[in-house]
Amino acid sequence: MREFRYERPSTVAEAISAVAGDPDADFLAGGTTEVDLMKDGVFHPDLLVDITRLPLRGVRKNGTMLQVGALTTMEELAADRTLIERAPFVREALLLGASTQLRNMATIGGNLLQRTRCRYFRDPAVPACNKREPGSGCEAVASVARMHAILGASRDCIALHASDLAVALVALDAVVHLQSEDGERTVPLTQFYLMPGDTPNRENVLRHGELITAIDLPLPPEGIRSTYLKVRDRASYEFALTSAAVALTMDGSVITEARIAMGGVGTIPWRGFEAEEVLRNAPATPDAFRSAAEGMIHDPYVVPGTAFKVELAKRTLVRALTEVTS
Amino acid sequence: MTTIQQPRILGPGVNRVDGPLKVTGQARYPNDFSLPGMAFAAVVRSTIPSGRITRLDTTAAGKSAGVLEVITHENADHLDEAPATFIKNPQAPLQNDVIRYYGQYIAVVVADTQQNATAAADLIEVEYERREALLDPHDPRAERIKDPWGEDTAWGDVRTALKRAPVMIDQTYTTSDNTNNPLGLFTTLAAWDGDTLTLHDSNQWPNMVQLVVSSMFGVPKDAVRVLTPFVGGGFGAGLRCWSHIPLAVMAARHVGRPVKLELTRPEMFTGLGHRTSSVNWLKLGATRDGRLTAIEHESLTTLPMDGDEYEPCSSVSTWSYASPNVTTRDQQVRLNIPWTNFMRAPGDSQGNFALESAIDELAWEVGLDPLEIRLLNYAEVDPKTGRPWSSNALRQCLEVGARRFGWSQRNPEIGSMRDGHELIGYGVAGVSFFWYQQPCAARVIVRGDGSAYVRSAVTDIGTGTYTIMAQLAAQLLGLDVEQVEMQLGDTEMPAGTAAGGSGLTAALGSAVHDACGRLIQKFVELAKTDPFSPLADVPYEQVEVSEGRLYRRGEPTRGESLARILAVHGLDEMAADGDSTPNSPDELGMTPAGARGARFVEVRIDEDLGRIRLARIVTVNDGGRILNEKLARSQILGGTVGGIGMALFEDTVTDMDTGRIANATFGDYLIPVNADVPDVHIEFVGEPDAFNPIGVKGIGEIGLVGVAPAIANAIFHATGKRIRSLPITLDEVMG
Ligand SMILES: Cc1cc2nc3c(=O)[nH]c(=O)nc-3n(C[C@H](O)[C@H](O)[C@H](O)COP(=O)(O)OP(=O)(O)OC[C@H]3O[C@@H](n4cnc5c(N)ncnc54)[C@H](O)[C@@H]3O)c2cc1C
Ligand code: SF4
Repeated sequence: MREFRYERPSTVAEAISAVAGDPDADFLAGGTTEVDLMKDGVFHPDLLVDITRLPLRGVRKNGTMLQVGALTTMEELAADRTLIERAPFVREALLLGASTQLRNMATIGGNLLQRTRCRYFRDPAVPACNKREPGSGCEAVASVARMHAILGASRDCIALHASDLAVALVALDAVVHLQSEDGERTVPLTQFYLMPGDTPNRENVLRHGELITAIDLPLPPEGIRSTYLKVRDRASYEFALTSAAVALTMDGSVITEARIAMGGVGTIPWRGFEAEEVLRNAPATPDAFRSAAEGMIHDPYVVPGTAFKVELAKRTLVRALTEVTS
Repeated sequence: MTTIQQPRILGPGVNRVDGPLKVTGQARYPNDFSLPGMAFAAVVRSTIPSGRITRLDTTAAGKSAGVLEVITHENADHLDEAPATFIKNPQAPLQNDVIRYYGQYIAVVVADTQQNATAAADLIEVEYERREALLDPHDPRAERIKDPWGEDTAWGDVRTALKRAPVMIDQTYTTSDNTNNPLGLFTTLAAWDGDTLTLHDSNQWPNMVQLVVSSMFGVPKDAVRVLTPFVGGGFGAGLRCWSHIPLAVMAARHVGRPVKLELTRPEMFTGLGHRTSSVNWLKLGATRDGRLTAIEHESLTTLPMDGDEYEPCSSVSTWSYASPNVTTRDQQVRLNIPWTNFMRAPGDSQGNFALESAIDELAWEVGLDPLEIRLLNYAEVDPKTGRPWSSNALRQCLEVGARRFGWSQRNPEIGSMRDGHELIGYGVAGVSFFWYQQPCAARVIVRGDGSAYVRSAVTDIGTGTYTIMAQLAAQLLGLDVEQVEMQLGDTEMPAGTAAGGSGLTAALGSAVHDACGRLIQKFVELAKTDPFSPLADVPYEQVEVSEGRLYRRGEPTRGESLARILAVHGLDEMAADGDSTPNSPDELGMTPAGARGARFVEVRIDEDLGRIRLARIVTVNDGGRILNEKLARSQILGGTVGGIGMALFEDTVTDMDTGRIANATFGDYLIPVNADVPDVHIEFVGEPDAFNPIGVKGIGEIGLVGVAPAIANAIFHATGKRIRSLPITLDEVMG
């Protein structure tokens, strides 16, 4: 048997020190990423610290902020009344992900930390994967890559960050609360993920033994128009080929404020600051939408299998904008 | 008393007789069995596509917790040759150091638990000498086998006819590798008792496994008992004796304990074969009004280095439509790939995609309605021999389907029908399925209480064999279905054929028919020996049977129950053996026709995003006499879902540098989910078939065929894009 130890501490401090004290320890939340990758032989933790009993579960409204405990499940967050009223696109992003069974297990913290679906990363029999074995090369670049990224990618790694939720949350300027033995800190989600560069093994700013305790969702103004549009090969239970999270504030037919992010395209959840800039104070017209899409998708890095995503992503964004404004 | 009198559709809504066992978990599948002292096996697979093992270090694995044995080519038993059973079976594993494909078994680890076996398997170190692999079907260095089965066909003069044809279609159609993926993980539990062996095994043909294993291990056939009363699906994957079976048997012999070997999902992708990709070159010649004058169909499919496969893609072109000039040729190319193998509708599914796409192209070319062109070229008789069909309701399938679908509402203009962002397309395809039947045996026994049981070694792969055979025996013995017990999936029972090729219902059904006839005859003869029997002087020809009683035709009171006849003669039960061999077309002067069908599909295409949505499907099929409409519908529905998979999703991807299957998980290998399956209207037409005494034509596979071309044709109608390769994905359809 592949042996590992299992602990289930009851306080946050104990959980953190258990992981911090062992370089080969991992937190275990819903396990839908962690256990999967252990079974595939990609992860070999010698200690799993089960955090599911820690008091970090639940959603609370605090002024204009929705505070989400890291151990809240995807289904629980999707059912939250305030979220449904004020940020329905986040709910859509949640419910278009995975399956009901998985969403009942999967936590919000774990979702943000899910690992790429790259087939070459997930099979240790493949020797070349910079994310798994730094410096070993990238098998995906030369292979049949359909589910891979076109933004932030390079020949060192084209792995996609596949979370739908994270796309909606970067659009919302969510803030992640972290706690470690050194204390607590907060990081805006837009600065949480790291571009792969030549170290695709480093995916985010989290340090070993640092725990996500909560995520703050700043509630958008009432009356926003929003959507999460997910385009994929089959109609459900699949990751996105492209997706767009869009939240607009309108004054008549003029867009006064825009929040845009895209999934299925980036090595990290891709916030569209340029596209937002194009749309701010612009009339809601097809031309404006197309310029926003051009601003969103530029300098793509494509391989034969992903080339179609450049145009598909632009059209996805245009469609999402058209839908929310019509 | 020798032909069945019942209506065209027998038992429209009889529930599965094994349903309660299945939903209560009492039906035991091979992986549900455990034996005292059982050990567990885990396989190790090669990670190169071609070459030799130069070093294989099992030291760490051997020392790992709970490990009982590690078997490699260095200590494996020498096994004898595996006989062919219709097609080849893989030769014994672990006999040498040669690697022919990525995923080939190179070792098996046996341990006290599955976890220990799996963990130890990871500790085995292998070094290889890699040779260049042949992985591309178009690689000129790869061996090509022409006319592999001697079935290339030619009549008339295609070359001249094509030259003279006023209209010609000349196109190439390709389909991808697909993997069968039955849900049940294939499992072998092997237990030796001295020189006799018992196997609980996932397969579609217990007698085949018995023959191959007994030959390989040099024991008499009867020393091997294979039990497969239930199996979690097959779709063709269980039609050969795959290498994990002898591995489990060998492992059990090495450790002197029963050994269970359950494949994992990724192992199912390399270990049980897959549907070959295909290239189809098709030329159609026609008159300006759309009448076919020539068909030339050539195909190329793939083969592993050490196997064979029967996948005659071009055959459909010899029987689907009337054409005075036809040439078909098939070729295979040998590659360093895992075995290609039968998968639901082998050959037909790929060939039909090509032919039905080309016919559609011809319709557009000559400006004819795609439905009309199919009716126009309908083959009244077998176009190859001119003989009448044993039955053929293709025309009715097309006509009834068109009505149900509302085909007449179709605006023929491309892209003319829309709903918001969605372009609407209508597509049609016809299906003429192959015919296949093999010899089969069954025994029918009537017990003293008048109930009966039926035995055959064949297995029910979930299609409903238990149920329809119980219904058939009940009908023939004049009993209620509940009075007939079915016993299947055990090689100690009368030898049976494969649950494959859509041929089991005809084969086993004819054997049951034969056995029931003989049994009734035995009862009549027995009754004759009793001077007090009301049947004493009634000739067999005049005997009828109903409600468990034999009586003189037209005189229901003049009779005697089966139970009473047994009681009078002091018998506990009486049995009769029956068998069936397919009739000869020459003797009957007719061509046996497989099932026929028509598919009508409405697609919705997002004009910007290319998203392909199926709105509805109408599938009408001629399966001769339908023995149970409820189960028949399930077969067609499941086939339709498989067809959607083939059309839009399924694609077993091979990495061209390593020969590794890149998407060997259910996360990466897409099959349709419920949301992809639209409303499916299913209907049966046609008459009992004349080729076998029970009038059936198998319908296990036909449901899948024709779905892909109907979808492709509908996509063309919606968008004007003719997609000639499967699967069709949104990037190809995006405007
Ligand atoms: C078949 C399948 C389909 C899926 N489809 C989708 C989809 O369509 N869209 C989508 O967005 N996602 C999808 N997912 C991903 C799924 O949403 C994630 O696996 C899930 O959200 C992870 O949450 P978890 O609680 O199970 O995390 P775990 O697996 O327990 O943990 C994931 C990682 O995060 C670490 N971790 C967990 N919680 C914390 C914490 N609080 N602080 C620090 N580290 C932590 C763990 O150590 C581990 O490394 C799919 C997953 C599967 C298996
Ligand atoms: S894309 Fe990234 S994760 Fe995938 S093989 Fe290349 S380096 Fe590894």
